[in-house]
Amino acid sequence: MENAPLFSVKVTVNGQLFEREVEPRLLLSDFLRHELALTGTHVGCEHGVCGACTVLLNGEAVRSCLIFAVQAHGQEIVTVEGLTPDGGREALHPLQEAFREAHGLQCGFCTPGILMTLIPFLQEHPQPSEGEIREALSGNLCRCTGYHNIVKAVQLAAETLRHG
Amino acid sequence: MSHYDATHHTRGTSRYVGDLPEPEGLCHAAIVPSPLAHGKLVRLDSAAALALPEVIAVITAGDIPGENQIGPLIQDEELLASETVHFSGQPLAIVVAETPELARRAAGMIRPEIVLLPIITDPREAFDRGEIIGATRQFVLGNVESAWAACDVVVEGRCDIGGQEHVYLETQGARALPGEGDAIKLYSSTQSPYVVQRSVAKVLGVPYHLIEVDVKRIGGGFGGKEDQATPWACLAALACRLTGRPVELILSRHDDLLMTGKRHAYSSDFKIGLDKTGKILAYAVRHYQNAGASADLSPAILERTLFHSTNAYYIPNVHIFAASCRTNIPPATAFRGFGGPQGMFVIESAIAKAAEALGIPREEIQRRNLIREGQEFPYGQQAERARAEATWEKADALYDLAAIHRKIEQYNRDHYETKKGLAVMPICFGISFTATFMNQGSALVHIYTDGSVSISTGAVEMGQGISSKLANITARTLGIGESRIKVESTNTTRIANMSPSAASATTDLCGGAAIRACEEILARLRRLAARELQLGDETAITIENEQVRYQGQATGWSWRKLVETAYFSRISLSAHAFYATPNIYFDKQKEKGRPFNYHVYGTAILEATVDCLRGTYDIDAVKIVHDLGRPLNAVVDLGQIEGGLAQGLGWMTVEDLQFDHTGKLLAGALANYKLPEVYFMPEDLQVNFLENDDNPNAPYGSKAVGEPPLLYGLGVFFALRNAARAFRPGKTLSFHAPMTPERLLLELYGDQMPPDERQSAEGNGKTRQPFPDTSTKEKA
Ligand code: FES
Ligand code: FES
Repeated sequence: MENAPLFSVKVTVNGQLFEREVEPRLLLSDFLRHELALTGTHVGCEHGVCGACTVLLNGEAVRSCLIFAVQAHGQEIVTVEGLTPDGGREALHPLQEAFREAHGLQCGFCTPGILMTLIPFLQEHPQPSEGEIREALSGNLCRCTGYHNIVKAVQLAAETLRHG
Repeated sequence: MSHYDATHHTRGTSRYVGDLPEPEGLCHAAIVPSPLAHGKLVRLDSAAALALPEVIAVITAGDIPGENQIGPLIQDEELLASETVHFSGQPLAIVVAETPELARRAAGMIRPEIVLLPIITDPREAFDRGEIIGATRQFVLGNVESAWAACDVVVEGRCDIGGQEHVYLETQGARALPGEGDAIKLYSSTQSPYVVQRSVAKVLGVPYHLIEVDVKRIGGGFGGKEDQATPWACLAALACRLTGRPVELILSRHDDLLMTGKRHAYSSDFKIGLDKTGKILAYAVRHYQNAGASADLSPAILERTLFHSTNAYYIPNVHIFAASCRTNIPPATAFRGFGGPQGMFVIESAIAKAAEALGIPREEIQRRNLIREGQEFPYGQQAERARAEATWEKADALYDLAAIHRKIEQYNRDHYETKKGLAVMPICFGISFTATFMNQGSALVHIYTDGSVSISTGAVEMGQGISSKLANITARTLGIGESRIKVESTNTTRIANMSPSAASATTDLCGGAAIRACEEILARLRRLAARELQLGDETAITIENEQVRYQGQATGWSWRKLVETAYFSRISLSAHAFYATPNIYFDKQKEKGRPFNYHVYGTAILEATVDCLRGTYDIDAVKIVHDLGRPLNAVVDLGQIEGGLAQGLGWMTVEDLQFDHTGKLLAGALANYKLPEVYFMPEDLQVNFLENDDNPNAPYGSKAVGEPPLLYGLGVFFALRNAARAFRPGKTLSFHAPMTPERLLLELYGDQMPPDERQSAEGNGKTRQPFPDTSTKEKA
């Protein structure tokens, strides 16, 4: 087994430029977690089913377990850690706030992926219907909550975002 | 009141095992699984793997310094197979390498040589061959044999209930760090830090105190990490000991599915006798539990099946038989409900069949036989504060059962290919570990001089919200704000010999201990305040909103002042306290006792619509009245109810866990195992609590909430079945769960398939006479 040649990857993550030498088969999820220590991006299934690893790639929600790190070269990534970049202790993004308020989480393992799925959705659907919310969430698995409170959290977030 | 971890969860800063900062020299382990379900292991050639430059070690059974044994109840489970393999996926060896990818690649290069032995996957077959784990058990009340004659109708039937994969979203894993000498510190995704501690110590041949286990939180458990988190922690520790380096072992989802046990599948025979008014006079049942390859927790789970075999009903004559049957699938394990749901599914099926024979609605029989105050369960305990009827009546009053009935009948008259079905699901679940000795909990409370508080208990946060409840209980008992409380990780050096976080009992046990620890410190503080402020009656001193009061009046002392004064007066601001549930016992010789501290009751009404041409369906509504005592945190509890319900509904419908006849799991990835997703849940979900009913047996009048709500999910099976009956009224339908769309079509049209296809589709259930001594009469 030969060691694969390394490729250089330059990628902006949460507004900061990173440059790393990586194996071509390194998944974006592993790159984020192990190379950049951004462990908020979780891995639940490793093959695109659960949505736990969702991040934004140039503003679009993608599954980081289905993308190689090299594919992100020259692009812009936002992870859950990027939602509250200034890190003020209580300053949560309205979406995060809504998940806390509506108890849209239990073990929390699915939460980052769900939040990242919803960020572009809420930008495109400032007044989502319940059906649209369910459709947006249909690719994310949560084993703990039964989804009810997640849907409520999205409604709450949409309202806060609308009324600022 | 939000979830204690909500801020960290939403920021992505909550740490699970795999998120901990990597220590210098961390290496990774991967497992070599058995490709066959039963056989003699003749050779394990690891030369090719070891030849890779970055492979550090290949570890097999022979390398284990202590005992190669991790069976929790019965010593029948090796950590690494030495001579015989008993299930497909059983760990044979581990590879330790510099990266997880390399470890996995190298593990794939190790080819075991195994001589195949006969494989059993069916519990009835195992039973017939004498492959029984532990003793068979029987609970008896009254005398069924003499009761059958008095019945107007007696029916028999068979149930086949599938297993269920836990799908905790965080897979199993552990990280082991070498300490001084033989000491090892472990971070483990486990519900049972103490079980991990003692198993690791045994495998390594060291005293328990050299092994420290720390759990901050886990990404879901549902019972799947009660006992089955242990092997991975043991393997990580073993690799750590043998290589001297920190080792992480996190299962890939594929390995997790392949190697870990699931909820038990059961096959059961029932016989039920009633008078013509629908009163149940006698019930006999034989449960064959598919335990898998080793005992794991199966005997304890079997016991709960016995306990819950009559659900929320009083039946004067009962005979329950149950056997744990050894087969060649991964050892089945704890899963929310712990064997109770299977027992309850069978009595609900028996009632359904009896209702069909009597020509009355199922609910009439259910309602008529709900257990009342003072009536006896088959295990000798009497119903105290029985709320089966109260929850049923409240559900009826709130949701109007008759109106739902009328609506559904009207719908079914108006529609041909789609039909609606209704089911009511009353539940009754006993709270306590059925192994009485496990009903103990400890708490360690420290108050720091700035007035902030740290609390440690044996409870593991797995999403259920125990941290929120402990923070709440501690703050409430001390009379201070919740923001002052920090709930610590669960650690074996702070809390010794803890029971697993399981059996829905964690709040009762650890919360009970937390109250005592706080009260101990409070007593010291009151004595101090009485002395310093010259107050005569120290019992009249209270702390409310962080202010010290005497006979309700402010004293001018704040919490902070009180704590500081205590410190300078050399009064201990720490306490360790212990709680053991009083007044519970069980005599296994007689199979009678008072095993439960109390029962949780509830009633759900479920409605579903079936497309009878396609077999697809929607769960339209689930309406619940749940007996929660006086909730500690209604938001958290509601979350538990909805999440538990989702798992119960999923188990009964879309979660189709299958092994083929060679013992191979047919779902090796999440892509082939369907879980409830956001569309699956009913849009009309209503949960109401039975209000103002304190429970004197748990912290602040609350009741346990973890497992009982799952049981409501059973109702959906009967709602779907009723819809199918509306479509084909004369057709005999089986009691085979889950009711996948495929199964539903088979139920509706199986009799129209050619006989050979029907046979293979319906399984080859050998006909047998489970209750051969008496005849069955169906007169209705
Ligand atoms: S881990 Fe990427 S979708 Fe599940
Ligand atoms: S909160 Fe546990 S999986 Fe969603």
